[in-house]
Amino acid sequence: MSALSVQFKKVSKKYTHFALENIDLELPTGSIMGFIGANGAGKSTTIRILMGLVHQDHGSVQVLGHSMPSQQAAAKLDIGFVSEDMRLYGPATLAWHMNFLRPIYPRWDQPYADKLVQRFDLKPEQKIKGLSHGQRVKAALLLALARRPRLLVLDEPTTGLDPVARHEVLQELMAVLADEDRTILFSSHNTLDVEQISDQITFIDRGRIIDSDDKEAFLDRWRRLRLLLPPDAVLPRLPGVVEVGGSSRLPVLTTNRFEPAMVSACNDLGATVQAVDTMTLEEIFVANVHCRRERLTA
Amino acid sequence: MNNSMVKRLILKDWYFQRQAILLAFAGGAVSFGIIFTGSQAGFTIGLILLVTVMVMVSAMTVMGNVLGERENQTLAFAMTLPISYLEYTTAKILGNLLIFIPFWLTMLAGALALIVYSPPIHGFFAFAIIMAVEILLSTCLMLVTALVTESKAWSISAMVTGNLALNVVGYVVAHLPGIKEGLFGTQIYWTPTATITVAVEFALIALLIGGAFHIQSRKQDFI
Repeated sequence: MSALSVQFKKVSKKYTHFALENIDLELPTGSIMGFIGANGAGKSTTIRILMGLVHQDHGSVQVLGHSMPSQQAAAKLDIGFVSEDMRLYGPATLAWHMNFLRPIYPRWDQPYADKLVQRFDLKPEQKIKGLSHGQRVKAALLLALARRPRLLVLDEPTTGLDPVARHEVLQELMAVLADEDRTILFSSHNTLDVEQISDQITFIDRGRIIDSDDKEAFLDRWRRLRLLLPPDAVLPRLPGVVEVGGSSRLPVLTTNRFEPAMVSACNDLGATVQAVDTMTLEEIFVANVHCRRERLTA
Repeated sequence: MNNSMVKRLILKDWYFQRQAILLAFAGGAVSFGIIFTGSQAGFTIGLILLVTVMVMVSAMTVMGNVLGERENQTLAFAMTLPISYLEYTTAKILGNLLIFIPFWLTMLAGALALIVYSPPIHGFFAFAIIMAVEILLSTCLMLVTALVTESKAWSISAMVTGNLALNVVGYVVAHLPGIKEGLFGTQIYWTPTATITVAVEFALIALLIGGAFHIQSRKQDFI
């Protein structure tokens, strides 16, 4: 089995008002990648290229050992896909959908599907058009999970869900993670959802990947340092500082390369480190985006 | 080509269009019922209703199966199945034609039987076949336009064009040398002109479908 379930190499796609540029993305088998970006950042386009639904202009895409888009039919046999803008057939029931998919996917797991029907409190004989948004998302997730896919691609699946439905969906996803061979790509602009289930994080902004790393590495290397500078002192030059806020006497530095030695370095330069704050994934994402956009406009 | 997947997609479309198919046959039966009342008015009204039902069926299936899938956002579901876009296109073209053609053949057979068993309108035999194939051509035009453009506006334009063409072709064919002479006669006849006209219509159908496959195979974005 390949060590990488997904590999993008220098992938580009140009539209009139938007371009995806030089996307390099690697998703190791068994990992759960949170794919975070603002609305319109390029998450869905990237995922559509991954699924073979949109053809890249340049670059190569390998999914589960298949070259995309030319071998998309073979690749999609092992992919479960749920997207915010994907709908099931309204006039048909959930049972009809299960019967439709069962013969297509060799690994279809009907006992598991039945278990998910119970867990998600769905009624197989109810027509899809009669379901609430939350129930529709759960039904779509059930249909994706019961295929027992090697790769699960979730494009903003929790968008528009109420807190209870969101919790249930995330709980089920976390249960799925027990299978070490299953790889998940989870796209969202909700960093809280991503933080709960992902072990890898990739940020995308304006069509470019701006950062990608282990979640723990992200959380470890990003810090906010609150300093107290003596009058007339100059702000020390520290490595990895991406943002400087606060006032001239009480500056707040945001760094993406934090090391404990930085604290003593600040003290040596005459500044007092009042606090070293950890950052949430959302704060890291926002700081990352701001930093990149400022660099581009500078 | 994954024939099994193509077949499943066709069966899916049949399942969702089953009510439209039944309604179409019911509409056709009503049309023939009116025609068989025997009156001149009944014949005219029934014939107009029959043509209207045929045009409606082609519009309903194309709107439902092709544009409906995009409008209702179920295209993403279909395209995440293990199929290529060419297989999807094949399923859509075959599915729609396999819904329309049995109905179309039944109505054509009914119309021809009516002509054969009614000596006063024997002369309409060739004309009826040419016009029936023209309806099939209009259906293909709308189907192909819907698939290629994925646009309701363009599909409606194709439907309007097809309907207008039906009148124009009807007028032109009725005045073609080799057709017009026997049109109002009491003899069933078939001429080389009729053969050529039908052959041209089928060639256009083949051209439309071939063109659709060619354009679809070059598409870059499917959702």
